Amino acid sequence: MGRKAGKGLCAACLPGVMLLLLINALGCGTTMAITPQVAIRDVKGYQVMGKILYDGNPDHLPRTVANGNPGESVLSFQFSYQCAYGSDNTSQLLPLFNPLSIVGFPIGANTLVVTEKLDVYKEDLLIKSYTATCMMDKTRNLFYEGETYSELRKRGLIAARNNIESQMYEDKDFFANLNAVK
Amino acid sequence: MIAKLGRRRVLIAILITGVLWGSGCATLGPVYTKADKIPEDHGLVYIYRPSGFIGGGVAYDVKVGETVVTTLHSGGYYPYFSKPGEVEFWAKTESRSAVTIDVMTGKVYYLKGTVGVGFFVGRPHLTVVPEEVGEKEISDCKLIPESK
Repeated sequence: MGRKAGKGLCAACLPGVMLLLLINALGCGTTMAITPQVAIRDVKGYQVMGKILYDGNPDHLPRTVANGNPGESVLSFQFSYQCAYGSDNTSQLLPLFNPLSIVGFPIGANTLVVTEKLDVYKEDLLIKSYTATCMMDKTRNLFYEGETYSELRKRGLIAARNNIESQMYEDKDFFANLNAVK
Repeated sequence: MIAKLGRRRVLIAILITGVLWGSGCATLGPVYTKADKIPEDHGLVYIYRPSGFIGGGVAYDVKVGETVVTTLHSGGYYPYFSKPGEVEFWAKTESRSAVTIDVMTGKVYYLKGTVGVGFFVGRPHLTVVPEEVGEKEISDCKLIPESK
C-alpha cells in the first residue's frame, strides 16, 4: 500500500520536475545569429595584399587582408567595427516576488550586436564592401549568469571576422584579377 | 518568553538590515558636472549608477585589471580618464560582470552599473550606454570620492 502510494506520488511529481527542468533549460544559454549567412570556409593561406587603414587590435582584423610592400598593390582596406549593447528592461522587482525565480526562471537578459565592416578601395574608388552583423542574446537566472559582455563581444568579433573572411574568399576570382592575391 | 524571543529576533533583523544598508552608503560629493578637459592621449569613461531601491545598499568595486577604479554606490558617478585601447571594466559580488570598451583619445563613454537579483547578495551588471542615454541618466548622480 505504502509502496503504491509512493509510486503514485512519484508519477504525480514527474510532470512538475520536467517543467522545472524545462524552465531551467530555457532560462540559460546564449543565442547567436549572424548575417549574412555564408558557409564558413578555411581561408588559411589566402590573403589579399594592400594597405590596411586600421590601428586597433589586429586580432579583430580579417586574416584575409595583409599589408603589402609600398607600391606593390593599389588596394587599401578600411576596417571598422561597432558594438551596441541592448538595455535590459527586465524589472529587478519582478524576480524578487516571482516564485519561479527559485527554479531557474530568467531574471534578466543581455543583448549585444557586433557589426564589422571592411571596405576595399582601388586607389580612391570603393570596389568592394563587406559587412557582417552578429547578434547575441543571453538570458540569466539565479543559477546561471553566463558569459560577460566582454566574452560575448570577443565571440561576436571573431564570428563576424570569420564571416567577412568567407565572403572575401568567395570573391577570390575578383581579387585574382586585380593581381592582389598572395 | 515567546514575546521576549520575538523581540530579540526583530532586533537582530533590524541590526542586520542596518549593517547591510549602512555598508552600501557613502558620502557622495557634488552633483554631476561635465569634466572640463580630457587629458591629452586619454579618453573619458563616466562610470555611474542611477539611484534605485533594488540593491540600494549594495556597493561594489569597479576594476580595470586588478586596480580599483571606484567603488560604485547607488546614485554615484566617477569620471575615469583612461589610456586609449581595449579596456576591460569589471565588478564582482557573487557573480562577475565585465565589459570591454575601445577607448579612443578625446572620446567620452558612459559605463552604467546596476544591481540585479542574486542568491545572497545583489549582482553587479555593467553595460555601455549611448551618450544620449548616459548624459540624461548621470545628471542626477553625485561624484564618488577618490578611492583611498
